[in-house]
Formats: sequence, structure tokens, C-alpha cells
Amino acid sequence: MSQNPHALFLQLIAKARVEGLSSSERDQLSAHLQDCTFCSEHAHQTDRALRSLRATAIPLPAGLAERTQFRVRLRAQELREREPKRRLLWTICGMSWALGVATAPYVWQAFEWIGQRFGAPKLVWELGFGLWWTIPAVVAAVVILLQNAKQTDETEWPQGK
Amino acid sequence: MTLTSTMTGSTLLYSTLMADDTKALAQGLRRRDPELLDRLIEQYQYRLFRYLLYLTASRERAEDFFQETWIRVLERGHQYDAKSKFESWLFAIARHLVIDWQRQKKVQSLEALTDPEVGTPLEIPAQNEPSPLHQVLHKEAEAGVQESLGRIPAIYREVLLLRFQEEMGLEEIAGVMETPLSTVKSRLYRGLEALKSAMPASPLGGQGGAA
Repeated sequence: MSQNPHALFLQLIAKARVEGLSSSERDQLSAHLQDCTFCSEHAHQTDRALRSLRATAIPLPAGLAERTQFRVRLRAQELREREPKRRLLWTICGMSWALGVATAPYVWQAFEWIGQRFGAPKLVWELGFGLWWTIPAVVAAVVILLQNAKQTDETEWPQGK
Repeated sequence: MTLTSTMTGSTLLYSTLMADDTKALAQGLRRRDPELLDRLIEQYQYRLFRYLLYLTASRERAEDFFQETWIRVLERGHQYDAKSKFESWLFAIARHLVIDWQRQKKVQSLEALTDPEVGTPLEIPAQNEPSPLHQVLHKEAEAGVQESLGRIPAIYREVLLLRFQEEMGLEEIAGVMETPLSTVKSRLYRGLEALKSAMPASPLGGQGGAA
């Protein structure tokens, strides 16, 4: 049990402001506050502090919204200009993938034929096929990653303060 | 521009947006609708700037992060799923930017701002002078409150702002901060205690009442 006889009620005073009280807690607290000057003063102090906090005025910098709107519009313009390029890149990637899938059986046969023609071990021409399959995808991924990195750099916190 | 003038305009806009379908908002963000973005920037300017100021404790940085946050909203609008409130998503973006920036400065996380030993004081000097009447009425009281807020570690300032100024629910706060609910609660209790100790003895005005 707490040494301070008011401790429970001080906790309830804080709880009432932070997360609210159950009806029994509320009744218990209000009954106590009617009799206890110490806790009552504590409750008033808490309310005063919160009222002061709520009443604190923050002056806004002049033209903050206008400057921000201007910057946002500029950025939106940039993004709009970049959009066709991005779309083209994704279209090429998609087409390349579709073509790759469609021609894979033929290319596999071609690699097999070349391998047999030159007496290359199976593992070598299979590896060749694997590279042929993966290199375009890797190149596309690198291009996209580079583009994203560039975009991130541009939008990165500019002042670096 | 001050709280009063900003709040009057934004309250109206806020209620307008609240009525809007969040799905329509998500669609607009996916389309990068410039009109929608303009409206959101105006509508959330005060709340977002205040949040960033509480996080960074610097007006200059808060302003830079404010702009950067909206650039991110433009670029990643398609990621807003309309399941959460827009402001939670917006604040989470802003928070990530601040944490990324802290990491770039070789600081592990926002927690580093929390140590009262190394905590950055909150810097809220007015760039636009408020009206003389406003100055007379509030100058002393606000200076006291702002100074007091500066004494509270940033991590507590953040939860206090989200809970008591933004009126966010505990789960929502946990979502913005990507922190367990129990952590949010414990920070709120500690923050409330810190706020009470830090606030000047004289009240800003009025008698005590239920929060």
C-alpha cells in the first residue's frame, strides 16, 4: 500500500486527463475532491497547465502555405514530366519479359544446338542460356535502381543541416 | 499570422474536410490533384507547423520540414489507404522526416532529443509581430508558457501536443509514433507531470476546471 494517502487520487487525476476514468473511478475521485483540498488544488493545477498548453499561440512564418504550394506544384510538374519516361521504361521491361518467355523454348534449342555443334559441355551452354535469360532483367533492374537512387537524391533533405 | 486568426479559418476548412470522404481524399492524392494539395496545405498549415516546431524546437527547421513533408505527401500520396485519418498519416510522414534527419546527424532517434541534459529548448520567437492588443494581453503569459514548454523534453512535448492540442486518441498517437500504446501512455503521464512542474505558477487566465 502506498505511503501517500493521496497517491491513488493523484493517479486518477492524471488518468482522467490522459485516458479517461470508469464511472466508479469518476465517482470515487469526485467524492474525494470535494473533501480534499490538496488533491483538489492538484487537479486545478493540472487543468491550468493543460489550458496554458492549449492556449499557446505559434505564429506562422509569413507566406508559409504559399511558398509550400509553389514548391509542391514545381515538384508535381517535374514528376509529370518524368512520367512518360518511366512508363516507356516499364513498357520496354514488360515487352522484353514477354518476348523472353515466348522465345525461351526456341532459344533453349538454339543453345543446345550450338553446344552440340561446338562440343561444349551441357553445363556451359545451359549457363549461357541462363545468362541470356537473366542479363536483360539485371540491366533493367540496375537502370530502375539507378533512377530511383537519383530521384531519392533529388528529393533528399536539401539543406543537410 | 497568429493562432486566433489561423484557427478561425482552419476550423471551417477542417470541418469541411471532416465531412469529406477519406476515400475521395485518397483518390485525389493518388491523382496528385493540385487543388486538393493546395487546400490541404492551407488547412493543415498551423497544425503541422506546430507539430514540427514541437519536434525540432527550431522555427527554421520546422519550416524546412513543413515543405519537405508536403513534397512527400505529393510523391507518396498513393500510399495513403484512407483507413487512418489523414492527419495521422501526415504527422507520421513529418515525424519520419525529422527522425531521418536526426539519423543523418548520427543521432539514433528522436529519443536523443528527449534527454533533458541534451534537450533542445523550444524556440518560438514570433516572426510576424502579433497585434498590439494581442501583445498586451498575452505577451507575459505566453512567454512564460513557451519558456516552460522549452523545459519539457521533446518526446513529451510531442505526446502532449498530439493528445491535448490535436485531441488525438491514444491509439491514433501510437499509430503516428509507431510506438506501443503502453509507451504512449507512460510518456503522457510523465509529460503531464513535466508540464505541470514546468508551467509558471500564475495561470494564463480563468479558474480551474475540467480539461
